[in-house]
Amino acid sequence: MIDNIIHAAVVMTTPVLLAALGGLINRVGGIVNIGLDSMMLAGALFGLIVASMTGSWPVALLAAAAAGGVVGLAMSLAVTRLQANEIIVGLGFLVAVAGLVRFFLSAAYGSSGTLSLPDVARLPRIDIPLVADIPVLGAILSGHDPLTWAAWAMVPVTVWFLARTRLGLRLRAVGAAPQAARALGLNPLMLRDLSTVYAGIMSGLAGASLSIGVVGIFNEGITAGRGFIALAAFYFGRNRPWATAACALLFGFFDAFQIRMQGRGVPAELVQTLPYLMVIVVLTAVALAGRRAKARRA
Amino acid sequence: MSDHAVGTPSFERPAWLGMLEPLGPLVAAFVVAGLVLLAAGHNPLEVYMLLATEAFGSSRRIAATLSAATPLILTGLATAVAFRAGAFNVGVEGCIFVGGLAAAYVGFTFAGLPAALLLPFALVAAVVVGSLWMLVPGLLKARLDVDEVVTTLMLNFIAISLTAWLVNGPLLAPGSANSATPMIAEAARLPKLMPPSTLNAGFLIAIALLGLYALWGNRTALGFETRIAGMNPRFATASGIDVPMLVIKMMLLSGAIGGLAGGIHALGNVGRFVAGFSPGYGFTGIAVALLGRGSALGIFLAALLFGALANAGATIQFFSDVPIEIVDILQGTVMVFAVAQLGRLIVRRRKAA
Repeated sequence: MIDNIIHAAVVMTTPVLLAALGGLINRVGGIVNIGLDSMMLAGALFGLIVASMTGSWPVALLAAAAAGGVVGLAMSLAVTRLQANEIIVGLGFLVAVAGLVRFFLSAAYGSSGTLSLPDVARLPRIDIPLVADIPVLGAILSGHDPLTWAAWAMVPVTVWFLARTRLGLRLRAVGAAPQAARALGLNPLMLRDLSTVYAGIMSGLAGASLSIGVVGIFNEGITAGRGFIALAAFYFGRNRPWATAACALLFGFFDAFQIRMQGRGVPAELVQTLPYLMVIVVLTAVALAGRRAKARRA
Repeated sequence: MSDHAVGTPSFERPAWLGMLEPLGPLVAAFVVAGLVLLAAGHNPLEVYMLLATEAFGSSRRIAATLSAATPLILTGLATAVAFRAGAFNVGVEGCIFVGGLAAAYVGFTFAGLPAALLLPFALVAAVVVGSLWMLVPGLLKARLDVDEVVTTLMLNFIAISLTAWLVNGPLLAPGSANSATPMIAEAARLPKLMPPSTLNAGFLIAIALLGLYALWGNRTALGFETRIAGMNPRFATASGIDVPMLVIKMMLLSGAIGGLAGGIHALGNVGRFVAGFSPGYGFTGIAVALLGRGSALGIFLAALLFGALANAGATIQFFSDVPIEIVDILQGTVMVFAVAQLGRLIVRRRKAA
């Protein structure tokens, strides 16, 4: 029972973690990406289609990443080159991409909202011998797909990237002070575009982890708002990769717990509100703390 | 997210330019959707003609379009009111859910009351609950400078899940398997204007509010102060305007109108509250407010456009194999282009030449 919940929590964390790490980089670069969910949706669809066409999951992941990246690029260009407000553009992309996906499904496959294809190459599970038999530890480490491992590997990589690499430092400069960054000879728009494309790629992979990792079919509601949970995670983690990952894991646990508790008296709908409530509470707490610190200084 | 300068309409340019301005994003969106239609093997012009005749071809169809536009007028207005004060409220969708449930609850619980009492009571309940729903993000924004985009966005999901829980459990209609409240009393129904069309008195309420909004924005001190506060909060503070208080007031007003939109949808159209109550009226309202550039006439025309699209999109499915989703694509691209500075494309090109 407990092993099942832990295992499910790790599985449900992967898409949120991937998208959150992407959105985190995007936000460090100065763009709040409300449209992560639309990039996940594109990745989930194209990942599944390519997984069925080629029978190869690495190729499918590439396709998913590309699909997410393309949506990210389009969104970024609207924000950086046409100076459109990022929030509205994000909302617009959510509506438009969801419409496009459903339009595409009914035009190309004559189906309404669901796509089930033959011979879908699913993500393999990596079973670790011996460890798999250890309770708890086995559930944490064994039987997960490569994307899960990649997602967690990206957490320290993101820390290192932001703190130690030239590109990471430049991105932070661009996000914190675009004018100053430009004066130093950086190209803020270009770096922002890069960060949004990266967010799109990560969200595309997140979508693929749902469509060819968890379920093996595509459904228009497959993301179930996980792009927003990812948003909540990096807001909650205040742009720090490990804190963001911890939040993603917490939301993964909520998800697993809620699936487990369905029909047992714990209303799933109320559990679903928890991540969103937590974000509001944390933002409030942070603002209160900031105000108190300011008052003390004064 | 300190730098979102949105929704502050430009007041100093000549009026005719302001009238033409929204046409740019519209044309751009219709071109994008036209390309999608072409790629799927449809003739975009034929599809658009069909949409136009389905939306405005007869008095019955016009009534259906106006009926579909009613919630959008209200959500556009709710969004515009907050935008004007510089508060970026994306939480109107949530207000529709809580307001709709409040109106439906009153409508089926106090079924014994006469219509003259029950109907206003139900609408007031929607207004109050919708308004209270925006109290927390309004206070947080005004007093602690907490980003209202994030809080209102999160509150949407909370409202949707919370109401879904309520109608699945405590407020579920007895003997009903699906997530819905009991039907409201006949006395709580908004009277229909042109039966059998769903067009109801809610449309008149929406139009009246639009008129009040125009008067308020152009003729009253509060409307003027709100505009100043939205355009330049520092100047407003320097002129002695209490900007934080104004933000709270406008967020509450925005929530009240959003709640009313939900109440009217419940009492005029649905007759009860069901899970998945709003098909995104709150989000379309953002597009309406942006496209309408915050003016009363603009909001009306934009709501009419999206109402026509929603209404016609639903019926063309029966006559052609054009998927109804083309409406969503149009709506999303309008939102994107409405905030994009399309002029920059031309300027850039000229510079390059």
